[in-house]
Amino acid sequence: MAYRFPSEQWIKEYQRVINSSEDYKKSGATWTAGPVCLVVSANPSVGLDKEIGIWLGLQKGVCEEIKIVTLEEAQKAPFVITGDYARWKQVVLGQLDPIQGMMQGKLKLKGNLPTIVRYVKASQDLVKCASKVDTQFADE
Amino acid sequence: MGGYKHRILEVDLSTGKMDISDVGEDDKRRFLGGSGISAKLFLDRFDIQSNPLSPENPLMIMNGPLTGTNLPGTSRFVVCGKSPLTGIWGESACGGNFGPELKMAGWDGIVFRGASEIPAFLLIEDGRCELHDASDLWGMDIYQVTDFLKASYRDGKQVKVFAIGRAGENLVKFAGIGNDKGHFAGRTGMGALMGSKKLKAIVVRGSGGVEPTLREEYSSLLKALIPKVKASVPAQALREMGTDSGMDLGMMTNDVPIKNWTSTQDFDLSFNLGGPSLTEKYLTKSHSCYACPIGCKRVVKVADGPYKTEEGPGPEYETCCTFGTMIMNKDLAGVIKANDLCNRTGMDTISGGAAIAFAYECYEKGMITGKDTDGLELVWGNIDPALKLIEMISERKGIGSILADGTRAAAAKFGKGAEELVTEVKGLDAPMHDPRGWHGMGLGYAVSTRGACHLQHMTLYVEQGMSAYPETGLETTYKGPQSEGKAGMYLISENFGVPCNSACLCIFVLGCLSAPDFAEMIRVTTGWKDFDIAELLNSGQRINLLKRTINCLLGMKREDDRLPKRILTPLSSEGNVPDINLMLREYYTLRGLDEMGRPKREILEKAGLRELISKLY
Repeated sequence: MAYRFPSEQWIKEYQRVINSSEDYKKSGATWTAGPVCLVVSANPSVGLDKEIGIWLGLQKGVCEEIKIVTLEEAQKAPFVITGDYARWKQVVLGQLDPIQGMMQGKLKLKGNLPTIVRYVKASQDLVKCASKVDTQFADE
Repeated sequence: MGGYKHRILEVDLSTGKMDISDVGEDDKRRFLGGSGISAKLFLDRFDIQSNPLSPENPLMIMNGPLTGTNLPGTSRFVVCGKSPLTGIWGESACGGNFGPELKMAGWDGIVFRGASEIPAFLLIEDGRCELHDASDLWGMDIYQVTDFLKASYRDGKQVKVFAIGRAGENLVKFAGIGNDKGHFAGRTGMGALMGSKKLKAIVVRGSGGVEPTLREEYSSLLKALIPKVKASVPAQALREMGTDSGMDLGMMTNDVPIKNWTSTQDFDLSFNLGGPSLTEKYLTKSHSCYACPIGCKRVVKVADGPYKTEEGPGPEYETCCTFGTMIMNKDLAGVIKANDLCNRTGMDTISGGAAIAFAYECYEKGMITGKDTDGLELVWGNIDPALKLIEMISERKGIGSILADGTRAAAAKFGKGAEELVTEVKGLDAPMHDPRGWHGMGLGYAVSTRGACHLQHMTLYVEQGMSAYPETGLETTYKGPQSEGKAGMYLISENFGVPCNSACLCIFVLGCLSAPDFAEMIRVTTGWKDFDIAELLNSGQRINLLKRTINCLLGMKREDDRLPKRILTPLSSEGNVPDINLMLREYYTLRGLDEMGRPKREILEKAGLRELISKLY
């Protein structure tokens, strides 16, 4: 079954995939730096009238909480990565490495860069998990 | 024409005679400056067949038109000559503040010829240039001589010092030259060339400025570029963690060489040796080269323990590999100590570290024993013998004297198959980026004009997706472990990267800018009103062909454009290796090289290098 990105169903499936990933469990095992929020910029053409955030409550290799939040709430996360819909689609499809995306300015990071860099493998594993979610995109 | 002083100081160290020269306006535009102009001078004015350590081999220290302007990343200058390590064209770029100061003193560069009978240092205060006896300074390490000379000329504006240490004095073939302790012209053994001339140091103080031609446009560009550099994520990473910020990501992408290029991904190593650890545990402050909005240079201190080190310049990414991952040492304090020793003795941390990692593997395989190492047990993971080897190399003691001639020569001396443990091209040890993860980098190592090199082209940034330059034809995404299409990418990144060391722009700053920005920097500085990206790329091609021609005249052939066996051996059953034959074939076609590796006549003609045809054919 394909899940529409982004939606409540998609994030729940994403959480399930993360928490069944042995790779992420290992690479994120020491992560205690707090939640990460992925913000998708507003894009009415795909049904996003305003920005939304995907809040990932990550702690020691486990995604304890996942929820869709407003931009205002998203900004409370210690790590916020922002990109437009097309960029996130590339990430979910595994076509854009998020670290490279940040380096090239395609994704914007707010948060402590050394921490993100230190957990580069964990971030890669999270992306791998996203690419395993059977995803339906609004522009297809 | 802004950006140039139109004066090159000529110093004959054999006679003490000094003179002033210049290159023509046309050649300035064709070869820009830095290593481009130096290569032109080398071919036109010197016996290029001379022994690299003979008085006939010149030592050229050259600025580019951008050096010393206030535009971002313009601290750079280049040291050139025939390399004592490789026997071919040698060059090494350096940041810091020496180049800008030299230009403020009124000089585009200095060309040394001959050799002094006694140790000497050159003092430049604007137009006043004097050679002084340096007998009392001979034997000092770089930190000592820098402090001494700065204290000796402390009245007025602070002088800038460019000096060699014991490695240069002892003609260690990968000796470097240090500017104010923290900035090094490390590669290709230019410190040995300086040592062969008995030149201990150059001291410079300038009172002038560097004026651009198109002042209003220059000011606008300056205002636009500084925030642009500051805002880029690569700049933020470099500012917060230094060049070692690349360690963690590099481990992920198989960029980091491990255990003398024989092992793969070890996240324990990168966790302990990477930029975040360096920052959290040992950083005391960071600082910048001249006119740099990034500030990637680290200042570190190891407060106590066996590797206690005074506050001073910290290790770069390359050093964290050569004295870390390459010998399986995960103690970052030990790396800091090794870096401090290399800085003081004046030794390239890449070639020095590579030689030591090579020795560790030879020891493991029984090619050398404790009898050869004066009892040192070169065991993976233990940096203590490496620290001792740094001293032995710089003093040319015991096995250190063999390693001091470079890994290629040492392997030949050891025999027993040691040649297969060496990772060098044309005699230059590969820097710490594994082409098995990034095939385009492999092509760069194979064809770069100074041997295995990651800084004569923009491949590191482009292939790894950190920067993109669509105006040049470089795409935004490339797959690392793939050879198809890489020759085309590499060719452009070479044409684009070569001018960095000629116009003299920091490659890290260029990584945060666009191609139009780079062309514009040259245009507004020099006043060449129609200078654009196309001319920038043409300059890169022309300078590359000139250096390749020099190497061909020095005997380099197609078979020298190669990759070492190590790089062509997969790290695991799933691992792959660069298809170097495919990439070379395509590169030769695109670059216009014949079956002997020479630039074809028509390519030279088209590049405006007709004068080289009669030399090559």
